[in-house]
Amino acid sequence: MSHSHKLVIKSSVSRPPTPTPTPDANKDHQDQKPSLQEINTKFIESGEKERLKELLRERLIECGWRDEMKALCRAFTRKKGRNNVTVDDLVHVITPKGRASVPDSVKAELLHKIRTFLASNAA
Amino acid sequence: MSGPNEDNTQLSSHFLGDLLDSIIVDVASECHRIAKLGLDHNLEEEEKELRLSAQARARVADPSNSGETNNKYVVDIFGRTHPSVASEIFECMNCGKSIVAGRFAPHLENCMGKGRKARRKVTRSSTAAQNRYSRGSPVSTYSPYSNSTSTNRLSNGTPVGEEYSNGTYEEP
Repeated sequence: MSHSHKLVIKSSVSRPPTPTPTPDANKDHQDQKPSLQEINTKFIESGEKERLKELLRERLIECGWRDEMKALCRAFTRKKGRNNVTVDDLVHVITPKGRASVPDSVKAELLHKIRTFLASNAA
Repeated sequence: MSGPNEDNTQLSSHFLGDLLDSIIVDVASECHRIAKLGLDHNLEEEEKELRLSAQARARVADPSNSGETNNKYVVDIFGRTHPSVASEIFECMNCGKSIVAGRFAPHLENCMGKGRKARRKVTRSSTAAQNRYSRGSPVSTYSPYSNSTSTNRLSNGTPVGEEYSNGTYEEP
């Protein structure tokens, strides 16, 4: 009975040799820097992306950014006619101004949080 | 090989841009929905305003509606008219008399002891009420009346500690 608990290495057993880690350019014990794809996956799967998106949305509402964008949409809709407007139109209407008019404090807050996430997940 | 910090900055901006684009699409989508469903009532603002102001002008010019000051019978926004003196008759809770609603406030002044001559009127209920006033404790049954009679007295700055001060303060 006690024999079954001992690790017995028999020479007759054939199994492939355990692979040794292949030496690479920049190495530690860790893997190479994760790819963008991997980081993105982790970003989404951990729920961090959703959390940060909600935070950003909240900040943009507070500072009136959303209202500005809606006003731009309405103005465009009035000109083009409500039945001729497409989502694509509106996206193109808002995007330049939208990206440019995010307040610096909001940008800083979000960037800080993203950087923190990256530091703890991707180095 | 760029340092991790620079990479991170660029990467963060990338992610921020991603989040922002996502929110932009949300806003655009919502505005699109509102536009298509016609939920934005102020959309054709100018047209509507022109129409409404034309209507208002027509109403003003209409001879069948006189201005507020010309008429004994004023028309309110629902088109109803009210006589200038309220004509309903009901019973005073204090003394039991039948009072015309439009004369109720002055009646109460006398009935509840505000007027000079009224003090003389001693009925069981009013002495009891006045005793309560002098003790300074509020009497809930009289609350609807004294508000109407006391407001014009108290507007000159006498403290409104209790609502029932018309019994206790000396007249100037």
